[in-house]
Amino acid sequence: MVDLAGKNAIVTGAAVGLGNSYAHALARAGVNVAVCDLREDIHDVAVALQAHGVEAVAWQGNVSDPDHVRTVVEGAREAFGSIDILINNAGVWGASVADDNLDKSLADYDLIVGTNMKGEYLFGRAVIPIMIEQGRGGEIINIATDHMVTCGTPWHVCPGTDKCPWADSPRPTGGGEIMDLYDVSKWGLNGFLYGWAKALAPHNIRVNAFCMGATDSYMLRSFHNFDPSPEEEASWMRAEDNAQALIDLLEEGPTGRNAQNINFCVGRPVKLEPPLEHVYIKPEQVEIGGAS
Amino acid sequence: MNVAGKVAIVSGAAQGLGQAFAERLAAEGCQVLAFDINPAVQELDGVEAMVADVSQRADVERVVAAAAELGTIGVLVNNAGAWKQTPVDSAWEQALADWDEIMDTNLKGVLMLSRATVPHLQAGGGGTIINLSSYYVLPAKSDGTNPPDTDLYNASKWALNGFTDAWAKYLAKDNITVNGLAMGAVDTPMLRGLFPDGQLPAALGDVMSAADIAQQMMDLIASGRSGENVGAWVGEPVTIGEQPPLHTRITG
Repeated sequence: MVDLAGKNAIVTGAAVGLGNSYAHALARAGVNVAVCDLREDIHDVAVALQAHGVEAVAWQGNVSDPDHVRTVVEGAREAFGSIDILINNAGVWGASVADDNLDKSLADYDLIVGTNMKGEYLFGRAVIPIMIEQGRGGEIINIATDHMVTCGTPWHVCPGTDKCPWADSPRPTGGGEIMDLYDVSKWGLNGFLYGWAKALAPHNIRVNAFCMGATDSYMLRSFHNFDPSPEEEASWMRAEDNAQALIDLLEEGPTGRNAQNINFCVGRPVKLEPPLEHVYIKPEQVEIGGAS
Repeated sequence: MNVAGKVAIVSGAAQGLGQAFAERLAAEGCQVLAFDINPAVQELDGVEAMVADVSQRADVERVVAAAAELGTIGVLVNNAGAWKQTPVDSAWEQALADWDEIMDTNLKGVLMLSRATVPHLQAGGGGTIINLSSYYVLPAKSDGTNPPDTDLYNASKWALNGFTDAWAKYLAKDNITVNGLAMGAVDTPMLRGLFPDGQLPAALGDVMSAADIAQQMMDLIASGRSGENVGAWVGEPVTIGEQPPLHTRITG
Protein backbone atom coordinates (compact mmCIF):
# COMPACT_ATOMS: atom_id res chain seq x y z
CA MET A 1 0.00 0.00 0.00
CA VAL A 2 1.35 3.38 -1.02
CA ASP A 3 1.56 6.11 1.63
CA LEU A 4 -0.08 9.20 0.14
CA ALA A 5 1.26 11.65 2.73
CA GLY A 6 3.40 14.36 1.18
CA LYS A 7 2.10 13.83 -2.34
CA ASN A 8 0.64 16.70 -4.33
CA ALA A 9 -2.75 16.72 -6.03
CA ILE A 10 -5.00 18.84 -8.21
CA VAL A 11 -8.78 18.49 -7.80
CA THR A 12 -10.98 20.34 -10.29
CA GLY A 13 -14.49 21.45 -9.39
CA ALA A 14 -13.76 21.16 -5.67
CA ALA A 15 -16.11 23.78 -4.21
CA VAL A 16 -19.04 21.42 -3.67
CA GLY A 17 -20.17 17.84 -4.09
CA LEU A 18 -17.87 14.99 -5.01
CA GLY A 19 -14.91 17.26 -5.79
CA ASN A 20 -15.10 18.81 -2.35
CA SER A 21 -15.24 15.37 -0.72
CA TYR A 22 -12.27 14.18 -2.79
CA ALA A 23 -10.22 17.23 -1.80
CA HIS A 24 -10.93 16.76 1.91
CA ALA A 25 -10.22 13.01 1.77
CA LEU A 26 -6.88 13.71 0.09
CA ALA A 27 -6.00 16.39 2.66
CA ARG A 28 -6.89 14.04 5.52
CA ALA A 29 -4.47 11.52 3.95
CA GLY A 30 -1.72 14.15 4.09
CA VAL A 31 -1.84 15.19 0.44
CA ASN A 32 -1.25 18.83 -0.48
CA VAL A 33 -4.16 19.92 -2.64
CA ALA A 34 -4.59 22.53 -5.36
CA VAL A 35 -8.23 23.19 -6.14
CA CYS A 36 -10.18 25.16 -8.70
CA ASP A 37 -13.82 25.91 -9.35
CA LEU A 38 -16.12 28.38 -11.07
CA ARG A 39 -17.36 29.41 -7.62
CA GLU A 40 -15.72 32.23 -5.79
CA ASP A 41 -15.91 30.35 -2.48
CA ILE A 42 -13.24 27.95 -3.75
CA HIS A 43 -10.82 30.18 -1.82
CA ASP A 44 -12.66 29.29 1.40
CA VAL A 45 -12.23 25.62 0.47
CA ALA A 46 -8.45 26.07 0.41
CA VAL A 47 -8.58 27.49 3.94
CA ALA A 48 -10.72 24.57 5.10
CA LEU A 49 -8.29 22.11 3.55
CA GLN A 50 -5.34 23.71 5.33
CA ALA A 51 -7.04 22.80 8.62
CA HIS A 52 -6.04 19.19 7.88
CA GLY A 53 -2.40 20.29 8.22
CA VAL A 54 -1.52 20.27 4.53
CA GLU A 55 -0.75 22.97 2.01
CA ALA A 56 -3.69 24.05 -0.12
CA VAL A 57 -4.03 26.62 -2.90
CA ALA A 58 -7.05 27.66 -4.95
CA TRP A 59 -7.96 29.35 -8.20
CA GLN A 60 -11.35 30.48 -9.43
CA GLY A 61 -11.95 29.86 -13.10
CA ASN A 62 -13.41 27.77 -15.91
CA VAL A 63 -11.78 24.44 -16.79
CA SER A 64 -12.67 24.91 -20.46
CA ASP A 65 -10.44 28.00 -20.54
CA PRO A 66 -6.91 26.91 -21.53
CA ASP A 67 -5.32 29.87 -19.75
CA HIS A 68 -7.07 28.97 -16.49
CA VAL A 69 -5.89 25.38 -16.81
CA ARG A 70 -2.29 26.48 -17.31
CA THR A 71 -2.58 28.86 -14.38
CA VAL A 72 -3.75 26.09 -12.05
CA VAL A 73 -1.25 23.49 -13.23
CA GLU A 74 1.76 25.81 -13.26
CA GLY A 75 0.62 27.35 -9.98
CA ALA A 76 0.29 23.96 -8.30
CA ARG A 77 3.74 22.90 -9.47
CA GLU A 78 5.21 26.16 -8.23
CA ALA A 79 3.47 25.87 -4.86
CA PHE A 80 4.21 22.19 -4.21
CA GLY A 81 7.26 21.44 -6.39
CA SER A 82 5.58 18.55 -8.23
CA ILE A 83 2.22 17.12 -9.26
CA ASP A 84 1.49 13.49 -8.44
CA ILE A 85 -2.29 13.20 -8.65
CA LEU A 86 -4.89 14.76 -10.96
CA ILE A 87 -8.58 14.36 -10.12
CA ASN A 88 -10.48 15.49 -13.22
CA ASN A 89 -13.79 16.09 -11.47
CA ALA A 90 -15.27 19.39 -12.68
CA GLY A 91 -18.50 18.81 -14.53
CA VAL A 92 -21.83 20.37 -15.39
CA TRP A 93 -25.22 18.96 -16.20
CA GLY A 94 -27.71 20.39 -18.66
CA ALA A 95 -30.73 19.21 -20.61
CA SER A 96 -30.36 18.92 -24.38
CA VAL A 97 -32.36 16.99 -26.97
CA ALA A 98 -32.09 16.01 -30.62
CA ASP A 99 -34.44 18.71 -31.89
CA ASP A 100 -33.05 21.67 -29.97
CA ASN A 101 -32.28 24.64 -32.20
CA LEU A 102 -28.73 25.37 -33.32
CA ASP A 103 -28.21 28.44 -31.13
CA LYS A 104 -29.08 26.54 -27.96
CA SER A 105 -27.16 23.49 -29.09
CA LEU A 106 -23.93 25.36 -29.73
CA ALA A 107 -24.20 27.11 -26.37
CA ASP A 108 -24.84 23.71 -24.73
CA TYR A 109 -21.86 22.25 -26.57
CA ASP A 110 -19.55 24.95 -25.31
CA LEU A 111 -20.83 24.58 -21.73
CA ILE A 112 -21.29 20.82 -21.37
CA VAL A 113 -18.69 19.35 -23.75
CA GLY A 114 -16.40 22.29 -22.96
CA THR A 115 -16.48 21.62 -19.22
CA ASN A 116 -16.88 17.85 -18.97
CA MET A 117 -14.75 16.71 -21.89
CA LYS A 118 -12.48 19.53 -23.03
CA GLY A 119 -11.79 20.49 -19.42
CA GLU A 120 -10.55 16.98 -18.62
CA TYR A 121 -8.55 16.90 -21.86
CA LEU A 122 -6.88 20.23 -21.08
CA PHE A 123 -5.98 19.32 -17.50
CA GLY A 124 -4.69 15.93 -18.61
CA ARG A 125 -2.61 17.34 -21.41
CA ALA A 126 -1.22 20.07 -19.14
CA VAL A 127 -0.26 17.65 -16.37
CA ILE A 128 0.99 14.69 -18.42
CA PRO A 129 4.25 16.29 -19.68
CA ILE A 130 5.00 17.38 -16.11
CA MET A 131 4.40 13.89 -14.69
CA ILE A 132 6.58 12.34 -17.40
CA GLU A 133 9.37 14.86 -16.77
CA GLN A 134 9.23 14.26 -13.01
CA GLY A 135 9.84 10.55 -13.55
CA ARG A 136 8.06 9.58 -10.32
CA GLY A 137 4.88 8.12 -11.74
CA GLY A 138 1.46 9.57 -11.19
CA GLU A 139 -2.27 9.08 -10.95
CA ILE A 140 -5.03 10.49 -13.14
CA ILE A 141 -8.67 9.87 -12.23
CA ASN A 142 -11.42 11.05 -14.57
CA ILE A 143 -14.92 11.35 -13.19
CA ALA A 144 -17.55 9.95 -15.56
CA THR A 145 -21.07 8.59 -15.25
CA ASP A 146 -22.93 5.32 -14.87
CA HIS A 147 -24.85 6.29 -18.00
CA MET A 148 -22.06 4.50 -19.85
CA VAL A 149 -22.53 1.34 -17.80
CA THR A 150 -24.84 -1.50 -18.66
CA CYS A 151 -24.73 -3.61 -15.51
CA GLY A 152 -22.52 -3.41 -12.44
CA THR A 153 -19.57 -4.09 -14.70
CA PRO A 154 -19.22 -2.11 -17.91
CA TRP A 155 -20.23 -4.60 -20.55
CA HIS A 156 -17.45 -3.64 -22.93
CA VAL A 157 -14.78 -4.73 -20.49
CA CYS A 158 -16.77 -7.58 -18.99
CA PRO A 159 -14.78 -10.81 -19.08
CA GLY A 160 -17.94 -12.72 -19.95
CA THR A 161 -21.24 -13.60 -18.41
CA ASP A 162 -19.86 -16.72 -16.79
CA LYS A 163 -17.44 -14.60 -14.75
CA CYS A 164 -19.39 -11.38 -14.42
CA PRO A 165 -20.52 -10.90 -10.82
CA TRP A 166 -23.62 -9.01 -11.94
CA ALA A 167 -24.49 -11.07 -15.01
CA ASP A 168 -27.97 -11.63 -13.64
CA SER A 169 -28.75 -7.93 -13.64
CA PRO A 170 -27.93 -6.59 -17.11
CA ARG A 171 -29.63 -3.34 -17.99
CA PRO A 172 -29.48 -0.93 -20.89
CA THR A 173 -27.04 1.94 -20.72
CA GLY A 174 -28.49 4.52 -18.37
CA GLY A 175 -28.14 7.41 -20.77
CA GLY A 176 -30.92 9.92 -20.84
CA GLU A 177 -32.74 10.96 -23.98
CA ILE A 178 -32.97 14.46 -22.56
CA MET A 179 -29.24 14.84 -22.01
CA ASP A 180 -27.51 13.86 -25.23
CA LEU A 181 -24.61 16.29 -24.86
CA TYR A 182 -23.99 15.29 -21.24
CA ASP A 183 -23.75 11.65 -22.29
CA VAL A 184 -21.56 12.62 -25.26
CA SER A 185 -19.20 14.46 -22.93
CA LYS A 186 -18.87 11.46 -20.61
CA TRP A 187 -18.65 8.73 -23.24
CA GLY A 188 -15.86 10.74 -24.86
CA LEU A 189 -13.73 10.38 -21.74
CA ASN A 190 -13.14 6.75 -22.67
CA GLY A 191 -10.88 7.97 -25.46
CA PHE A 192 -8.69 9.72 -22.90
CA LEU A 193 -8.90 6.87 -20.37
CA TYR A 194 -7.64 4.22 -22.76
CA GLY A 195 -5.34 6.43 -24.83
CA TRP A 196 -3.58 7.95 -21.85
CA ALA A 197 -3.35 4.72 -19.88
CA LYS A 198 -1.70 3.00 -22.79
CA ALA A 199 0.76 5.81 -23.48
CA LEU A 200 1.62 6.45 -19.83
CA ALA A 201 1.94 2.92 -18.45
CA PRO A 202 5.70 2.88 -19.28
CA HIS A 203 6.02 5.99 -17.08
CA ASN A 204 4.26 4.35 -14.11
CA ILE A 205 1.37 6.77 -14.53
CA ARG A 206 -2.03 5.14 -14.04
CA VAL A 207 -5.27 6.41 -15.54
CA ASN A 208 -8.64 5.23 -14.24
CA ALA A 209 -12.18 6.59 -14.18
CA PHE A 210 -15.03 6.60 -11.68
CA CYS A 211 -18.41 6.06 -13.35
CA MET A 212 -20.71 7.65 -10.82
CA GLY A 213 -24.31 6.74 -10.23
CA ALA A 214 -26.63 9.00 -8.25
CA THR A 215 -24.57 10.53 -5.45
CA ASP A 216 -25.79 13.20 -3.03
CA SER A 217 -24.25 16.35 -4.49
CA TYR A 218 -25.09 19.83 -5.66
CA MET A 219 -25.38 18.56 -9.24
CA LEU A 220 -27.84 15.81 -8.38
CA ARG A 221 -29.91 18.10 -6.16
CA SER A 222 -30.08 20.66 -8.97
CA PHE A 223 -31.33 17.89 -11.28
CA HIS A 224 -34.18 17.34 -8.83
CA ASN A 225 -34.86 21.11 -8.51
CA PHE A 226 -33.50 20.92 -4.95
CA ASP A 227 -36.67 19.13 -3.88
CA PRO A 228 -36.07 15.39 -4.14
CA SER A 229 -38.60 12.94 -2.76
CA PRO A 230 -37.52 11.33 0.52
CA GLU A 231 -37.38 7.94 -1.23
CA GLU A 232 -35.16 9.35 -3.96
CA GLU A 233 -32.86 11.04 -1.49
CA ALA A 234 -32.58 7.89 0.61
CA SER A 235 -31.37 5.91 -2.40
CA TRP A 236 -28.44 8.19 -3.16
CA MET A 237 -24.85 7.24 -2.48
CA ARG A 238 -22.78 9.41 -0.17
CA ALA A 239 -19.88 11.44 -1.56
CA GLU A 240 -17.79 10.72 1.55
CA ASP A 241 -17.97 6.97 0.88
CA ASN A 242 -16.93 7.49 -2.72
CA ALA A 243 -14.00 9.66 -1.60
CA GLN A 244 -12.79 6.77 0.55
CA ALA A 245 -12.88 4.54 -2.55
CA LEU A 246 -10.73 7.15 -4.29
CA ILE A 247 -8.16 6.96 -1.49
CA ASP A 248 -8.23 3.15 -1.67
CA LEU A 249 -7.58 3.34 -5.41
CA LEU A 250 -4.67 5.76 -5.03
CA GLU A 251 -3.13 3.58 -2.31
CA GLU A 252 -2.90 0.71 -4.80
CA GLY A 253 0.00 2.61 -6.35
CA PRO A 254 1.66 2.01 -9.73
CA THR A 255 1.12 -1.77 -9.66
CA GLY A 256 -2.62 -1.39 -9.20
CA ARG A 257 -5.38 -1.53 -11.76
CA ASN A 258 -5.08 0.63 -14.86
CA ALA A 259 -7.34 1.83 -17.68
CA GLN A 260 -10.49 0.79 -15.88
CA ASN A 261 -13.92 2.34 -15.60
CA ILE A 262 -14.78 1.75 -11.94
CA ASN A 263 -18.51 1.78 -11.36
CA PHE A 264 -20.52 3.03 -8.45
CA CYS A 265 -24.15 2.12 -8.96
CA VAL A 266 -27.04 2.85 -6.65
CA GLY A 267 -28.02 -0.23 -4.70
CA ARG A 268 -24.51 -1.64 -4.45
CA PRO A 269 -21.89 -1.05 -1.76
CA VAL A 270 -19.93 2.17 -2.27
CA LYS A 271 -16.46 0.68 -2.07
CA LEU A 272 -13.60 -0.24 -4.33
CA GLU A 273 -14.36 -3.65 -5.80
CA PRO A 274 -11.51 -5.96 -6.84
CA PRO A 275 -10.12 -5.07 -10.27
CA LEU A 276 -11.50 -6.74 -13.36
CA GLU A 277 -9.33 -9.36 -14.99
CA HIS A 278 -9.79 -7.82 -18.39
CA VAL A 279 -7.36 -4.99 -19.06
CA TYR A 280 -8.17 -3.01 -22.13
CA ILE A 281 -4.69 -1.79 -22.92
CA LYS A 282 -2.44 -4.30 -24.59
CA PRO A 283 1.04 -3.91 -26.04
CA GLU A 284 0.03 -5.40 -29.40
CA GLN A 285 -1.11 -2.74 -31.77
CA VAL A 286 -0.92 -1.82 -35.41
CA GLU A 287 2.02 0.49 -35.98
CA ILE A 288 1.24 3.44 -38.18
CA GLY A 289 3.88 4.92 -40.40
CA GLY A 290 3.91 7.96 -42.62
CA ALA A 291 0.93 9.57 -40.96
CA SER A 292 0.58 13.29 -41.36
CA MET B 1 -37.48 1.74 -43.80
CA ASN B 2 -37.64 2.23 -47.57
CA VAL B 3 -35.39 5.09 -48.62
CA ALA B 4 -36.43 5.28 -52.28
CA GLY B 5 -37.67 8.73 -53.22
CA LYS B 6 -36.22 10.34 -50.09
CA VAL B 7 -33.46 12.91 -49.94
CA ALA B 8 -30.25 11.63 -48.34
CA ILE B 9 -27.51 13.85 -46.94
CA VAL B 10 -24.00 12.37 -46.86
CA SER B 11 -21.12 14.31 -45.33
CA GLY B 12 -17.52 13.71 -46.34
CA ALA B 13 -18.62 12.15 -49.60
CA ALA B 14 -15.69 12.95 -51.90
CA GLN B 15 -14.00 9.60 -51.46
CA GLY B 16 -13.85 6.37 -49.53
CA LEU B 17 -16.81 5.35 -47.39
CA GLY B 18 -18.71 8.59 -47.95
CA GLN B 19 -18.51 8.20 -51.70
CA ALA B 20 -19.66 4.57 -51.43
CA PHE B 21 -22.59 5.58 -49.21
CA ALA B 22 -23.63 8.39 -51.58
CA GLU B 23 -23.45 6.21 -54.67
CA ARG B 24 -25.31 3.35 -53.02
CA LEU B 25 -28.10 5.59 -51.73
CA ALA B 26 -28.44 7.09 -55.22
CA ALA B 27 -28.68 3.57 -56.66
CA GLU B 28 -31.45 2.85 -54.13
CA GLY B 29 -33.51 5.73 -55.51
CA CYS B 30 -32.53 8.51 -53.14
CA GLN B 31 -31.87 12.04 -54.21
CA VAL B 32 -28.45 12.44 -52.63
CA LEU B 33 -27.00 15.69 -51.36
CA ALA B 34 -23.31 14.79 -51.13
CA PHE B 35 -20.90 17.29 -49.67
CA ASP B 36 -17.27 17.49 -48.73
CA ILE B 37 -14.59 20.05 -48.04
CA ASN B 38 -12.74 18.33 -50.89
CA PRO B 39 -13.87 19.72 -54.28
CA ALA B 40 -13.49 16.22 -55.77
CA VAL B 41 -17.01 15.58 -54.45
CA GLN B 42 -18.24 17.43 -57.56
CA GLU B 43 -16.99 14.58 -59.73
CA LEU B 44 -19.51 12.10 -58.31
CA ASP B 45 -22.20 10.99 -60.77
CA GLY B 46 -25.89 10.98 -60.00
CA VAL B 47 -25.79 13.15 -56.90
CA GLU B 48 -26.22 16.80 -56.01
CA ALA B 49 -22.75 17.81 -54.86
CA MET B 50 -21.68 20.74 -52.72
CA VAL B 51 -18.31 21.88 -51.45
CA ALA B 52 -18.94 22.58 -47.77
CA ASP B 53 -17.24 22.19 -44.39
CA VAL B 54 -19.25 20.32 -41.74
CA SER B 55 -17.37 22.18 -39.01
CA GLN B 56 -18.75 25.52 -40.20
CA ARG B 57 -22.28 26.42 -39.12
CA ALA B 58 -23.04 28.54 -42.20
CA ASP B 59 -21.97 25.68 -44.48
CA VAL B 60 -24.11 23.19 -42.56
CA GLU B 61 -27.18 25.41 -42.80
CA ARG B 62 -26.53 25.94 -46.52
CA VAL B 63 -26.30 22.17 -47.09
CA VAL B 64 -29.50 21.33 -45.23
CA ALA B 65 -31.41 24.12 -46.97
CA ALA B 66 -30.25 22.83 -50.34
CA ALA B 67 -31.24 19.28 -49.40
CA ALA B 68 -34.70 20.44 -48.37
CA GLU B 69 -35.08 22.04 -51.80
CA LEU B 70 -34.62 18.60 -53.37
CA GLY B 71 -37.57 17.01 -51.56
CA THR B 72 -38.33 15.22 -48.30
CA ILE B 73 -35.19 14.54 -46.31
CA GLY B 74 -35.23 10.96 -44.99
CA VAL B 75 -31.60 9.93 -44.54
CA LEU B 76 -28.60 11.53 -42.81
CA VAL B 77 -25.20 9.87 -42.92
CA ASN B 78 -22.75 11.57 -40.54
CA ASN B 79 -19.65 10.30 -42.30
CA ALA B 80 -17.22 13.23 -42.45
CA GLY B 81 -14.31 12.67 -40.10
CA ALA B 82 -10.88 14.06 -39.33
CA TRP B 83 -8.05 11.76 -38.26
CA LYS B 84 -4.62 12.54 -36.97
CA GLN B 85 -2.19 11.22 -34.42
CA THR B 86 -2.08 13.32 -31.26
CA PRO B 87 0.76 12.35 -28.88
CA VAL B 88 -0.16 12.78 -25.22
CA ASP B 89 2.95 14.83 -24.49
CA SER B 90 2.68 17.24 -27.40
CA ALA B 91 3.28 20.94 -26.87
CA TRP B 92 0.42 22.93 -25.34
CA GLU B 93 -0.40 25.02 -28.41
CA GLN B 94 -0.42 21.83 -30.49
CA ALA B 95 -2.78 20.14 -28.01
CA LEU B 96 -5.20 23.05 -28.32
CA ALA B 97 -5.06 23.06 -32.12
CA ASP B 98 -5.54 19.27 -32.23
CA TRP B 99 -8.71 19.51 -30.13
CA ASP B 100 -10.22 21.98 -32.58
CA GLU B 101 -9.12 20.05 -35.64
CA ILE B 102 -10.59 16.73 -34.49
CA MET B 103 -13.60 17.78 -32.45
CA ASP B 104 -14.90 20.56 -34.71
CA THR B 105 -15.42 18.01 -37.47
CA ASN B 106 -16.02 14.70 -35.70
CA LEU B 107 -18.22 15.93 -32.84
CA LYS B 108 -19.40 19.51 -33.29
CA GLY B 109 -19.92 18.82 -37.00
CA VAL B 110 -22.15 15.84 -36.23
CA LEU B 111 -24.05 17.93 -33.69
CA MET B 112 -24.66 20.83 -36.08
CA LEU B 113 -25.57 18.76 -39.13
CA SER B 114 -27.90 16.54 -37.11
CA ARG B 115 -29.61 19.36 -35.24
CA ALA B 116 -30.19 21.15 -38.55
CA THR B 117 -31.56 17.99 -40.20
CA VAL B 118 -33.70 16.44 -37.45
CA PRO B 119 -36.62 18.91 -37.80
CA HIS B 120 -36.82 17.98 -41.48
CA LEU B 121 -36.87 14.26 -40.66
CA GLN B 122 -39.63 14.88 -38.12
CA ALA B 123 -41.66 16.96 -40.57
CA GLY B 124 -41.24 14.32 -43.24
CA GLY B 125 -42.75 11.60 -41.12
CA GLY B 126 -39.56 9.78 -40.14
CA GLY B 127 -36.15 8.76 -41.34
CA THR B 128 -32.81 7.40 -40.31
CA ILE B 129 -29.48 8.72 -39.02
CA ILE B 130 -26.20 6.83 -39.34
CA ASN B 131 -23.18 7.93 -37.28
CA LEU B 132 -19.83 6.67 -38.54
CA SER B 133 -17.74 5.43 -35.64
CA SER B 134 -14.72 3.27 -35.03
CA TYR B 135 -14.52 -0.30 -33.80
CA TYR B 136 -12.34 0.95 -30.97
CA VAL B 137 -15.59 1.88 -29.21
CA LEU B 138 -16.22 -1.87 -28.97
CA PRO B 139 -13.04 -2.74 -27.07
CA ALA B 140 -14.15 -6.21 -26.03
CA LYS B 141 -14.05 -6.97 -29.73
CA SER B 142 -11.23 -4.72 -30.91
CA ASP B 143 -9.18 -6.15 -28.03
CA GLY B 144 -7.28 -3.03 -27.13
CA THR B 145 -5.37 -2.88 -30.38
CA ASN B 146 -6.04 0.81 -30.92
CA PRO B 147 -3.06 2.61 -32.44
CA PRO B 148 -0.90 4.86 -30.27
CA ASP B 149 -1.45 8.60 -30.08
CA THR B 150 -5.15 8.52 -30.94
CA ASP B 151 -6.69 9.89 -27.76
CA LEU B 152 -8.62 12.69 -29.45
CA TYR B 153 -9.81 10.67 -32.43
CA ASN B 154 -11.02 7.86 -30.20
CA ALA B 155 -12.61 10.33 -27.77
CA SER B 156 -14.53 11.86 -30.66
CA LYS B 157 -15.85 8.44 -31.69
CA TRP B 158 -16.60 7.26 -28.15
CA ALA B 159 -18.54 10.50 -27.69
CA LEU B 160 -20.85 9.63 -30.58
CA ASN B 161 -22.26 6.83 -28.40
CA GLY B 162 -24.03 9.56 -26.45
CA PHE B 163 -25.75 10.83 -29.59
CA THR B 164 -26.64 7.40 -30.96
CA ASP B 165 -28.10 6.23 -27.64
CA ALA B 166 -29.98 9.42 -26.73
CA TRP B 167 -31.31 10.15 -30.20
CA ALA B 168 -32.55 6.59 -30.73
CA LYS B 169 -34.60 6.91 -27.55
CA TYR B 170 -35.80 10.48 -28.06
CA LEU B 171 -36.62 10.22 -31.78
CA ALA B 172 -38.42 6.86 -31.66
CA LYS B 173 -41.68 8.81 -31.29
CA ASP B 174 -40.95 10.47 -34.63
CA ASN B 175 -40.32 7.19 -36.48
CA ILE B 176 -36.61 8.02 -36.78
CA THR B 177 -33.98 5.32 -36.30
CA VAL B 178 -30.41 6.13 -35.22
CA ASN B 179 -27.44 3.80 -35.36
CA GLY B 180 -23.66 3.79 -35.38
CA LEU B 181 -21.41 1.92 -37.76
CA ALA B 182 -18.29 0.96 -35.81
CA MET B 183 -15.73 0.41 -38.50
CA GLY B 184 -12.59 -1.65 -38.54
CA ALA B 185 -10.07 -1.23 -41.35
CA VAL B 186 -11.77 -0.41 -44.66
CA ASP B 187 -9.76 0.11 -47.84
CA THR B 188 -10.15 3.86 -48.24
CA PRO B 189 -7.87 6.77 -49.11
CA MET B 190 -7.99 7.73 -45.39
CA LEU B 191 -6.61 4.33 -44.35
CA ARG B 192 -4.03 4.20 -47.13
CA GLY B 193 -2.92 7.71 -46.21
CA LEU B 194 -1.67 6.36 -42.89
CA PHE B 195 1.02 4.24 -44.52
CA PRO B 196 4.07 5.04 -46.66
CA ASP B 197 3.25 5.10 -50.37
CA GLY B 198 -0.35 4.18 -49.52
CA GLN B 199 0.60 0.51 -49.17
CA LEU B 200 -1.46 -1.38 -46.60
CA PRO B 201 0.72 -3.63 -44.38
CA ALA B 202 0.04 -7.36 -44.45
CA ALA B 203 -0.59 -7.25 -40.69
CA LEU B 204 -3.89 -5.51 -41.33
CA GLY B 205 -5.23 -8.64 -43.04
CA ASP B 206 -7.79 -8.48 -45.83
CA VAL B 207 -9.29 -5.08 -45.13
CA MET B 208 -12.96 -4.58 -45.93
CA SER B 209 -14.34 -2.79 -48.97
CA ALA B 210 -16.41 0.38 -48.80
CA ALA B 211 -19.07 -1.28 -50.97
CA ASP B 212 -19.49 -4.02 -48.34
CA ILE B 213 -19.97 -1.41 -45.63
CA ALA B 214 -22.52 0.41 -47.80
CA GLN B 215 -24.44 -2.87 -48.07
CA GLN B 216 -24.28 -3.25 -44.30
CA MET B 217 -25.64 0.28 -43.90
CA MET B 218 -28.56 -0.43 -46.24
CA ASP B 219 -29.35 -3.65 -44.37
CA LEU B 220 -29.28 -1.76 -41.08
CA ILE B 221 -31.62 0.94 -42.38
CA ALA B 222 -34.00 -1.64 -43.85
CA SER B 223 -34.08 -3.59 -40.58
CA GLY B 224 -35.77 -0.79 -38.67
CA ARG B 225 -33.42 -1.44 -35.75
CA SER B 226 -32.32 1.57 -33.70
CA GLY B 227 -29.87 2.52 -30.97
CA GLU B 228 -27.11 0.13 -31.96
CA ASN B 229 -23.44 0.25 -32.73
CA VAL B 230 -23.05 -2.28 -35.52
CA GLY B 231 -19.47 -3.38 -35.94
CA ALA B 232 -17.46 -4.56 -38.91
CA TRP B 233 -14.22 -6.42 -38.34
CA VAL B 234 -11.50 -7.55 -40.69
CA GLY B 235 -11.67 -11.31 -41.12
CA GLU B 236 -15.36 -11.64 -40.35
CA PRO B 237 -18.42 -11.40 -42.62
CA VAL B 238 -19.72 -7.85 -42.94
CA THR B 239 -23.33 -8.24 -41.81
CA ILE B 240 -25.68 -6.66 -39.29
CA GLY B 241 -26.18 -10.02 -37.60
CA GLU B 242 -28.96 -10.80 -35.17
CA GLN B 243 -30.20 -7.94 -33.04
CA PRO B 244 -28.20 -8.10 -29.79
CA PRO B 245 -29.77 -7.94 -26.30
CA LEU B 246 -30.76 -4.45 -25.20
CA HIS B 247 -27.90 -4.04 -22.76
CA THR B 248 -25.23 -4.66 -25.43
CA ARG B 249 -26.61 -2.59 -28.28
CA ILE B 250 -24.35 0.39 -27.67
CA THR B 251 -21.46 -1.22 -25.82
CA GLY B 252 -21.07 -4.32 -28.01
